[in-house]
Amino acid sequence: MTSTNLLNLAKIGQLDPIPLSMALVKRMLMTARQRLRDAELTQNSDETRFDCAYTAIRALADIGLHLQGFRTSTSKPGHHQTVIQSLAHTLDVDAATVRVLDGLRKQRNLADYDGELVTTAALHECLEQGKILLGRVENTLRQRVDWESSGA
Amino acid sequence: MKATFKSASELLFPLQYRGKALALLLLQPQRRLHVREIARLTGTVAGTMNKELDRLQRAGLLEKHRVGNQLQYCANQQHPVYPELSALLRKTIGLTDVLTLALMPVAERITVAFVFGSIARASDTATSDVDVIIIGRVEFGEAINLLYDAQTDLQREINPKVFSPEEWTASLVAQSSFVQDVLLKPKLFLIGAQCDLDQLAELGQDRPA
Repeated sequence: MTSTNLLNLAKIGQLDPIPLSMALVKRMLMTARQRLRDAELTQNSDETRFDCAYTAIRALADIGLHLQGFRTSTSKPGHHQTVIQSLAHTLDVDAATVRVLDGLRKQRNLADYDGELVTTAALHECLEQGKILLGRVENTLRQRVDWESSGA
Repeated sequence: MKATFKSASELLFPLQYRGKALALLLLQPQRRLHVREIARLTGTVAGTMNKELDRLQRAGLLEKHRVGNQLQYCANQQHPVYPELSALLRKTIGLTDVLTLALMPVAERITVAFVFGSIARASDTATSDVDVIIIGRVEFGEAINLLYDAQTDLQREINPKVFSPEEWTASLVAQSSFVQDVLLKPKLFLIGAQCDLDQLAELGQDRPA
């Protein structure tokens, strides 16, 4: 069942409907896993590690949307924010966690556009949240019949 | 040369100790705090603060309670100007106070916390974010959720940056341009004061770069 919140976002053009492709979901999942592995590499700078973990979180949130038959409309500003806020409706993420993930999004903007440094606390949070969200996505996928039949 | 900018709160409450004590106690009237606690939370000297609290109490703006051998102060909500004064404080000094209040649950674990960026420089626009640095044993997610409701109160987004004391000192030693920039620019202290930052810097001087 599609949440009315998602349908409303689609109505105002923040989301575009797309046909579900388990092959695409699989590729997105591989991206997320790879980025999380990259984020663990301590020879990288904290900024790079943070960026990788954040990209993983976004890929995982994108999977959540995709499983509901949507993707963010990249022509609209704020599509990162949209995909993170939609986690409450796609993967049933609690409000406090959505706030933290949105906080990480803002940190990423400040690091990328204002040259602010990434603190250990922010990096640690991003890694932890990435792992938790990966577990959540894997769990969701395991419960789907079409995921098993896709041979992943 | 640019004329010195004075904020509304500085003009209305030219006595720093008075403004800080009133803001802390009138904006959370249910709280009773002792002098040392008030001094710590406002980054002021306990002895001087004690005299100011005494003056405010004698004027009837504060109530004094003796608990054991401790003197505790709280707002006198029955005072005729209490509603107007607290509204005035909320709208002027309020910004830092709302943030200090939000960080209260973890204040014990914070060495120093302050606002930096455009708000601290008083060059903010109506939509400027509030940039906050927290140095202490706090997790990023914890800070985000503690400050979340304050965003509604202030009608601004809040971006916390969380450092452990060691990380802050290490960034100083490594001459991080971000940290050096923050140190040079104006700050609004929420918990602790400049001397706490100085202390962290001194720790770094004992260490090789």
